[in-house]
Amino acid sequence: MRRIFAQFLKELSQFQRDRLTVALAFLLPLAVLLIYGYAIRLEAKNIPLSIQDFDNSQLSRGYVERIFASQQFVPAPLLDNDPTLAIDRGIAKATLVIPPDFSRTIKDKDSVEVQVLVDGTDVNNARVIQNGIRATTQFFLRSDNLIPDRPRPQVVAEVRLWFNPGREEAFYIVPGIFGVILWVFPSMLAAIATVREKEQGTIVQIYASDLSAAEWLLGKELAYIAIGIGEALITLVVAALLFGIRIQGDPTPLLVGTIVFLAAAVAFGLFVGVRTGNQTGAVQGTAIAGFLTALLLSGFIYRIDNIPFPLSALSNVIPARYYILITRDALVRGTGWAGVGFAPLAIALIGGFFFFAATRILHRMQFSD
Amino acid sequence: MNFLRRLFSGRLWALIRKETQQILRNKQIVFLLLFPPTVQLLVFGLALNPEVTGLDLGVADYSRSADSRELVAALVENDVFQVSTFEESQAALGDQVRAGRITAGLVIPPDFSQELSENQAAPVQVLVDGVDANTAGIAQGYVEQIVNRYNQGLTTPPSGQPESLPIETQVTFLYNPGLLSSWFFVPGVIGVVLTLTGSLVSSTTVIREKDVGTLEQLLMTPAAGWEILMAKIVPLFVLLLGDVLLASALARLVFDLPFRGNYLLFLGLSALYLFVCIGLGIFLATLAENQQQVVLTSFFFNVPLIQLSGAIAPIESMPPFFRHLSFFDPLRHYVQIARSLILKDVGIDALWVNILALAIFAILFLGVSINRFRAQLS
Repeated sequence: MRRIFAQFLKELSQFQRDRLTVALAFLLPLAVLLIYGYAIRLEAKNIPLSIQDFDNSQLSRGYVERIFASQQFVPAPLLDNDPTLAIDRGIAKATLVIPPDFSRTIKDKDSVEVQVLVDGTDVNNARVIQNGIRATTQFFLRSDNLIPDRPRPQVVAEVRLWFNPGREEAFYIVPGIFGVILWVFPSMLAAIATVREKEQGTIVQIYASDLSAAEWLLGKELAYIAIGIGEALITLVVAALLFGIRIQGDPTPLLVGTIVFLAAAVAFGLFVGVRTGNQTGAVQGTAIAGFLTALLLSGFIYRIDNIPFPLSALSNVIPARYYILITRDALVRGTGWAGVGFAPLAIALIGGFFFFAATRILHRMQFSD
Repeated sequence: MNFLRRLFSGRLWALIRKETQQILRNKQIVFLLLFPPTVQLLVFGLALNPEVTGLDLGVADYSRSADSRELVAALVENDVFQVSTFEESQAALGDQVRAGRITAGLVIPPDFSQELSENQAAPVQVLVDGVDANTAGIAQGYVEQIVNRYNQGLTTPPSGQPESLPIETQVTFLYNPGLLSSWFFVPGVIGVVLTLTGSLVSSTTVIREKDVGTLEQLLMTPAAGWEILMAKIVPLFVLLLGDVLLASALARLVFDLPFRGNYLLFLGLSALYLFVCIGLGIFLATLAENQQQVVLTSFFFNVPLIQLSGAIAPIESMPPFFRHLSFFDPLRHYVQIARSLILKDVGIDALWVNILALAIFAILFLGVSINRFRAQLS
């Protein structure tokens, strides 16, 4: 125990001696938080929409006015009377084409078809545009009493948005950023530190000493967990200040989850460091791989249910996936253990595997050399 | 003529051959050139999907009538929702939403069927987990549309067709009629892959020489600084061009992207973008002392480059400040070019702003990094 603690202290003092690394260790998480927190928004506001109104009647102008009144769309110019040209150029995201017989048909109590051409490149917003135009059209019909009187059996859906009634996207993205930051940086730092000992040959001294592989790794593990806790606190404080994120309800799942998650991240870093010999390029590759999996296979941006089969199986062993469940619950829903009780267990299992594997590898090297 | 003769007579050519051999002999770099781009492209293309289907719906049906079952059937009909649980009470349903086990909950009150038969408005409650704001918004839109359709069905005269609304919106999706998400992401990811691989490989080749100390030996040869650099850039450029071909082959074969624009133009502009990546890589190498620092600093540059490029989340959705900031991101211009040329059939006239921006960035990045490299040489 004392030897582990000595390792821990040695590791920390070595870490704080490298000023550039210290600075980057605490600045990079903040940079990631700022960029992701502010720049990842999925739903477009102020969508440029151009109008081709062949009817140009009072009714059609009223319809157009109603569409822009929703604040979801802003007018964009129509180029050369070609409904698709502005979309080709990226000036408009959609064009609404109102046919010449628009008002006449409606007055005849008949049904008229308006064409909406939508830029399908951005798949998500293509759907948002479709829903938006349909909803405002419905609203226009109702507010102008154009829906024919009918007997009144009417289902009225009262939609309540829980936890996030204003549909703030930051409440979705920011808790997810914790999963990316607290995975990538602690594991990267741990991997670099381990590789450095190999490169500089100081690891041979460890082999020669009677320190066991597990003790050596545990000392490192604890040191980088401590650094990770520092990163977590800074990230949490800045997220609270900038995005108004607060811990909701019981804080213990977040506390336990964070420590377990950091332990798993560091264990992964140690595993990579022990594994890759002294090729720093490989560490770099692994850092990018870890970054991408934490970013892509964790449900950070898009729903995890959308990931297709072979990858969805892989996503089950990505700890960030479980940690993001914990942070979203702790920072937005506030349900507590009832919702996320299994998550720390899953993380601990994966982290334990990496630590065990790292010990095995190191153990073998210790004796074969 | 004189210049050309100098170019291919001996020294530069020999240096280029030396660099190429060195790269190809280094298994690590060959690995970096082939493996990560393939995996990244596949993972990004398959994993990023904003689709809203199969949302888990819980139902608390107090009415237990034919009408209420019909409403549930209408909600699940087009696969946006799937019923995953029936709960006895509204409270139990609420607990399911709170625990994150279902995304939406439908509460049908006991007098639902009675109210409908008395021609009154029959309210139902839909609870939506709003944590995922984007999905919640789209789900809400769908619920409203489905209920509207359902109401239309209710007013159908027993004999006839459901009457259509006075205005029917006919929505056509251009360029990507099936709304395949991979068509949105893959062109952007080609840019991401080139940025990551290009900057990584070029910084590795330069920093290696610094690390091992062979740079000094090169300096003692009669080769000029520009020759050393040219010899470094040319093989990298050719190999990365191979990555462009690899990426477009994957895009074509695996993701079935249409490549509607001029492919040669796409190749040419990708080549232009490669100079930006190489410039970035050399710049990173001049900034750092060793490879560990390259790892950390490359994050500092690559994360904002990728995030502001619109490759992963659309630029139009960003707040205004970041939308404007994105103009200073070379990757943003490349992503726009790639998307336009792969999905739309547009030419230079629609893209000249982006092309100009890429050219400026290429000159700027290469210029700055070459200058720094030369300063460090002397």
